[in-house]
Parts: sequence; structure tokens; C-alpha cells
Amino acid sequence: MTLHLRARRVPLALAASVGAAALIWALWLTLSTERDAILLLVVLTVMLMVAVLSTTLAAPDEDLERTAALHWPWRRAVHLLAALAVVLVVLLATQPTGARFGPAALVVRDSAGLLGLTALCAAVVGAARAWFLPMGWAVVAAMFPQSGTWGALATWAGQPHTSRPAAVVAAVLAVTGLVTYALLGAARRE
Amino acid sequence: MSVLGIELRRSAAAGAALITVTVGVAALYTAPGRWSEGWMSLALTVKEYMILLWPIALAAGAWQGRREHRAKVGELFATTPRSRARRMLPVLVAMGASVGLAFLLVVGAGGLWIASTAAYFPPDVVAITLVGALSLVAAAWLGLGIGRLLPALVTAPVLAVAGVLLVFFTAIMRPDWMGAIMSPAYGSSPFYAFQTIDPRVTAVLALFMGGLALTGVLLLVARGPRTSVAAVLPVLLGFGAAAAIVPRDEAALVAPIDPVARELVCTDDAPKVCVTRVNSNVLDALTPLAREGLAVLAKLPDAPTQAHEERWAYPVEDAPTRDAGIVTITVRIDDHGGLAHPDAVVPEMVFGLGTGYGNPECERNGAVERAAAYHLLGREPVSDVGVIPEMIEEEPQLNAEAVELWQGLQKLPAPEALARVTAVRDALLACQDPTGLLSR
Repeated sequence: MTLHLRARRVPLALAASVGAAALIWALWLTLSTERDAILLLVVLTVMLMVAVLSTTLAAPDEDLERTAALHWPWRRAVHLLAALAVVLVVLLATQPTGARFGPAALVVRDSAGLLGLTALCAAVVGAARAWFLPMGWAVVAAMFPQSGTWGALATWAGQPHTSRPAAVVAAVLAVTGLVTYALLGAARRE
Repeated sequence: MSVLGIELRRSAAAGAALITVTVGVAALYTAPGRWSEGWMSLALTVKEYMILLWPIALAAGAWQGRREHRAKVGELFATTPRSRARRMLPVLVAMGASVGLAFLLVVGAGGLWIASTAAYFPPDVVAITLVGALSLVAAAWLGLGIGRLLPALVTAPVLAVAGVLLVFFTAIMRPDWMGAIMSPAYGSSPFYAFQTIDPRVTAVLALFMGGLALTGVLLLVARGPRTSVAAVLPVLLGFGAAAAIVPRDEAALVAPIDPVARELVCTDDAPKVCVTRVNSNVLDALTPLAREGLAVLAKLPDAPTQAHEERWAYPVEDAPTRDAGIVTITVRIDDHGGLAHPDAVVPEMVFGLGTGYGNPECERNGAVERAAAYHLLGREPVSDVGVIPEMIEEEPQLNAEAVELWQGLQKLPAPEALARVTAVRDALLACQDPTGLLSR
């Protein structure tokens, strides 16, 4: 287990994602007069943690790993859910502090949706490039959120937490990503 | 040259350029109405999209900077007699040239759309665009340097997010002059067509970005930790030099006005119709409509005889004093650079009865003014929704009241009705409440 985590460079990713989130939290705490972080910052912090954790989704040698007589789909699903748990625990832990990253519904929606999309991309283009599309989409959505149902679907990650279309997109991406990645694993290319 | 060719083919340079062009052009053409007004609005809009392009260049640099580490050839290459700086030259040129050219391509792609309609080309656009390209080169080189310093898979995504946050928060930070130095997107929020960016602001951004680029190069070619630490010097020097010459006054920083773009361009023949130079391509389309509006107003005694485009820079200037002989028009530009909402020109000219929108402290009465205006237009009052483009909703009661007053006017003999409408106009000019003047 420890070896598996070390092979996936989990300690580095964990330290980088939690450290970066802590840095953003500390900056908001000291530089801003508001208690609640703005939506752009919340979405980007989620995306940052997801992107960093997504680098652990593939082994250095996928072919070698797949020869092991283990039941991979379950392990991959657990891996993904653990990554989601890390993001949620860290960001929801800011709720009682002086710099809140919320609301909770938004954090849950964006973490699940973006992680699902990233896992989906990992299954298609490999873990190293998996964050390209989700990152671009999340930045555009958070910078230029659109109104209307179609606008909300297209910029779901930047919608307020009450938006139903955004929640639907996030749920679909989360489930599709989880299932696809669990079954296929990361694509085999560096 | 062939080394550079191989570098272009083998490195992330081409991919980075492709992504930059795609994102930039897609962002531009998703909303062409934001920059169809002219060259300066295109330059400002592209500068705003720096929030997307700058992090892409930074992350692409970091992605590429990891290469030697990934290929595990660092020790092998170190044994060659070539210096590290010489070996890094192709990757620097390839990355820098491709993202810089990609930026110019994005501006060029927008320029094609407006080339035939944009009437005014301010020379500052060239400087803003070149410094924009320099900003992307600096981002790519800094990314290369950091990617070599921290050659992990997580570096690129972390830098991408850091880049977005840096561009965004420096663009809105206080004091303003600090943002002007550090943010490649500073000053890009558009308020009016005759806006510009002060040349000194463009210059200080160039200084800072030049320092940042040099820091990236030093990080990339550094042979030991001591050189790496020394690499922060250029960016500090760049910031210091920029801080020494950056303008500190609000007029140069916040939405500065280009006086040449704001000059009036007028018709030769009377009645005179004038627009700002930056919008002078719509003068021909506007003139017949504006004259129609002047003809409607001419039913009043002492009516205005000229129509000018509204030139008030509302966020930075106090309301200008109005000339009773001139009626102002709000000019709107459509996606293709032509006159937008031509149907709104005549009603908008008549709605203030030629007095403009006036002093906000004066008592106004929407129903009375609407009834008077539609009496001049010779038709029944309708809701402003659908007439004035920015109007989304209004109380239905307002128009019902206006229709009632208008019907009252229709029943009167024409000279008496006109006298009452004139009384409303005079009340507006004298800053008095016009309520009751139509239904004495």
C-alpha cells in the first residue's frame, strides 16, 4: 500500500495540493477584508487541488501495473473517491476560519464535477495531460459565467451553488468520469 | 536554423502556440460586439483575455522546462563542451517566438474583422500589442525557468492557476500604479470608445515583463543554487525601474481618455451632425436619423439645431454643461462595426425634449415627459422596453399614465398642446418638476 502510494507520487501531490490551498487560504486571510472568498478563487482552488491530485491517476508504467493480479476497477474508484475526499475535507475545513471557501454546495459540486471530468480526460489522453481541458473550462466558466439554461450548462463551474443545470452537468461528469476511469484506467502514454 | 526547426517540432512550442491562438480567437469571436468598435477596443479586449493567455504561456513553459528531467539526460548533456546557455538557446527562441507570434496572430485575426469599418487607428495600439506579445514571451520563459527548477508533473497546473490568480488580482489591486506595473491585463475594462492606455503604463509593463523574462532565462541556464537566487534580481530591478516612472495620478491610470479619438467629426452641411472620430464610420448612417430627430424637435420654439454624439466619460468626469442648441445622441456599435439599433436614435433624441438627460438632482416625471415626447413624434406612447435597447422591464403603470396624458393632449387644439409641451421642456431646462404641466 505504502509502496503503491509512493509509486504514484502521492506524497508530493498531497503536499502540493494541500500546501497550495493553504497558501491561497493564508493570502485571502491576510490580504482581504471579506470573510468569504470570491467565487473565482473558490473554483480555482478546487481546480488546483483536482489538477495536482490528478497527476497520481497513472502509474509510471501502466502496462507493468496492469499485469498484477489485482482487481483494478475497485482500486481506481477508491483512489478517485479518496482524492475527492481530500479536496472536500481541506476546503470544508476552512468554514469555521476567517477565510471561508464556500458555500459547501458549490465546493462539492465543482470538486466532484471537475474531478470526474479530469478522470475522464485521464482515461482518454493520459494522466499527465488530463488537467488541460478541465482547467481551461473552469477558468473560462469562473471568469465569464453566463446566464440562461444553455449558458449555465456551458459555464457550470462558475454558476452560483443554487443553479440546477450546473448541478446536473457536474453530476453527469462525476459519474461518467468515475465509471470510465475505474473501468479503463489512465491512457497509456506519457 | 535546423536546430531551431527540430526544436519547434519536438518541443511544446507549436502546441502552446496552437492552444494560444485557439483560445484567443475563440474568446474574441464568442463576443465580437465587445471589440467591433475599433482598433483600441480590440487591443483592450485582447489585453483583457490575457487572463487566459498569460497562464497558458506560463504553464506551457513549465511543461517544456521539465523535459531534460523527464528524459533523464541532464548528466549526459552536462558532459558536452557546449555551455548550458548555448544549449538552452533553441528552446528559448522556439517557445518565445511561438507564443509571441501566436499573440500577434490573435490580434491579427480580430483586425481582419474590423479592418474595413474601424475609422481611427491610434498608434498606441501598436505599442500595447507588442508589449502584450512580450508579456507572453516573459510568461513562457519564466515557466521554462520554474519548470527546470521544480521538474515535477504538478508544476504546470499549479503555475496555470497561479498565473490566473496573479493576472486577476494584480489587475484589480490597490494602489492602482502597482497593478499597472505587474498585471498584463491592467486597464482593459472598457468604459467608452475613446478610451486608451497611457503610453507610460505600457512602458512600465514592458519593463516589468522584461525583468520577468530575464529571470526566467537565468533560472533556466543557472548552474547552481547561487545563480538561481541571483535570478530574482532582474525582476526586482524591472519593478524598481518601473515604480520610478509609473504615473501615479488617476487620470493616467483609470480609463484614460484619448483626446484625438474623442474629437468631433461633423457633416459639412447643416443641420450639423457630429460623432467622435473613433465612431466616424457611422456618421453616414446616423446623419439621416439624427436630422429626422432634429426635425421632430424643431416643432418646439428655440429647438436645438445640431446633433452630437454623447461624449461624456461618465466614470471619470463630472456631467458636462449642456448647450441648449445641441442635442446629444448615444451611439451604439453593432457586432460588425456599423450603427446598432438605428430605430432607437429618433426616440432617444426626442425623449429629453432636446434637453439631454440633465441633472440627476432635478425632479423629473417619466410619464409627463413620455407623453410630451410622443406628442411630438405623433404616435401613442409605448413602453421603453423594446425602444431603448438597454431597457429590460418597467412598471406598466408608467405607460398607462403617459397614454392618458397623451390622449388629453390630442384633444386640445394644436397650438395649446404645443404650448404645454414647450412648458414641460422649459421646466426641464430650469430644473423644475414638470408634473401637472400637461393637464392644467
